[in-house]
Amino acid sequence: MNSEEKQEKNKSEKLMQEQTDPGLTGQAKVGVVSILALLFGILFFAGFFASFQDMKWMKAFDFQALSGTFGTIKTVGKDTFLGAGGVSARAGFLFAFSLLPSVMFALGCVEVLAHFGALRAAQKLMTPLLRPLLGVPGIVGLTLITDMQSTDAGAAMTKELYDKGLIDKKEQTIIAAWQYSGAGMISNFFASGSAVFALLAVPLIIPLLIIFIFKFIGAIYVRIMLNTFFKEDFRRGE
Amino acid sequence: MENKNEEAVKKPSSNVFDIFVEGARKGWHIGVNNMLPNVLMAYVIAYILTVLGVMDLLGSLLGPVMALWGLPGQAFVVLLTAWLSSSASVGLAASLYTTGVLSGQDITILMPAFYLLGSQLQYMGRLLGTSDVPKKYWPLLMSASLLNTLLAMFVMKFLILFF
Repeated sequence: MNSEEKQEKNKSEKLMQEQTDPGLTGQAKVGVVSILALLFGILFFAGFFASFQDMKWMKAFDFQALSGTFGTIKTVGKDTFLGAGGVSARAGFLFAFSLLPSVMFALGCVEVLAHFGALRAAQKLMTPLLRPLLGVPGIVGLTLITDMQSTDAGAAMTKELYDKGLIDKKEQTIIAAWQYSGAGMISNFFASGSAVFALLAVPLIIPLLIIFIFKFIGAIYVRIMLNTFFKEDFRRGE
Repeated sequence: MENKNEEAVKKPSSNVFDIFVEGARKGWHIGVNNMLPNVLMAYVIAYILTVLGVMDLLGSLLGPVMALWGLPGQAFVVLLTAWLSSSASVGLAASLYTTGVLSGQDITILMPAFYLLGSQLQYMGRLLGTSDVPKKYWPLLMSASLLNTLLAMFVMKFLILFF
C-alpha cells in the first residue's frame, strides 16, 4: 500500500515536472535545427526516401526499410525461429531475443559460483601479485574483483578507498586503469558475448583469460607512465 | 502480498536454487535493458552502412591496415562500434558473420577487443567519473585500453594456430 502511494506521488511529481518543462510548455527556443529535425522526421516516417527506385541507397533514410525484415524458414528442420535472410531492426531483435536463455543461464551460474566463494578465491590468489605488478596494496583486491562483475560498484569502491585514505592518487589512477579496460568483464562477456560463442574458433575461456591478463598489462603500462612521464605530479605525494 | 514477495527476493538466500534464479533474473535485466537495444541498434547501423556502401568502401580502404591482424577492412567498423558499446559491437560482428563479411576466425581474433576497448565512452562517466580519477590522466587510461586491444588481437591471432 505504502509503496503504491509513493509511486503515485512520484508519478504526479513527474507529471508536474513535465508540465513545467520548457520543451513542452512551448517556451523553449525552436531553432533551425528543430525545424529540420521535424521535416526529416516527417519524410523519414512517410516513406519519402523509399520512393526513389533508381537510388537504392536512399533506403538508408527510410523508416520502413530500416525496420528490416524477419528471416524466413527456408530449410525446415535446420533453420531456427530466426530463419535466414533477415535484416536490420527486426532481425536484430529476434537475434538478441534468441540469446536471452544463455545470458540468463550464464549469469545464474556465475551467481552460484560467486556464492560458493569462487570470486573470493580469485581475490586471494590475486592479492600477492598486486604489490609487485601494480604497486598497490593488497586491500585493493576486492575492488578489482568487484569490477569484474559490476563496473559501477567497482568504480564506487575505488573512490571509497581513496576517500578513506587507504590509497593515494597514483594508486587510484592505476586501479582505475585496471578497471577501465574490460570493465565488468565477466557479466559483459557472458551477456553480450554469447552472441558469438558458437562462432569462436577457440574454447571460450581463452578470450576471457586474455582480457583478464591484458587488464594487468594496461595497468602496468599506466604505472610506468605515471612513474616516468608524470613523475613530477607525485613528487610531494598528492 | 506483492510487496512481501519482493522483499523475500531481495534478502540474500542461502538456497542454491534461489541464488541461481537471482542470477538468471540479473541476466534477464541485462539482456533486455542492455544487450537487446544495443544489438538492435547495431543491426540497423550495419544495414545503413551496407545500403550506403560505406561497408564496402571501408573494406577496401582499411583492408591493408586490418590485414595486420588478418582481418578484413570492415572489422574496423566493429572496433569503432566497440568504443561506443561493447554489446553493439558483438551484435554487429554477429550480423557481419551472417552476411559472410567476417569469419568465425575473425570474430575469435576480435573477441577480447570487444571488451578491452568496450564502451569506453559510457565508462568515462560511469567508471572514471565515479572513481574520481583526475581528468588529466583520462587520455592515458584510454591509450592503455587501445594498446591492450591492439596487442590482444595479435595474441589471439597467434593463439588461434593451436586450435
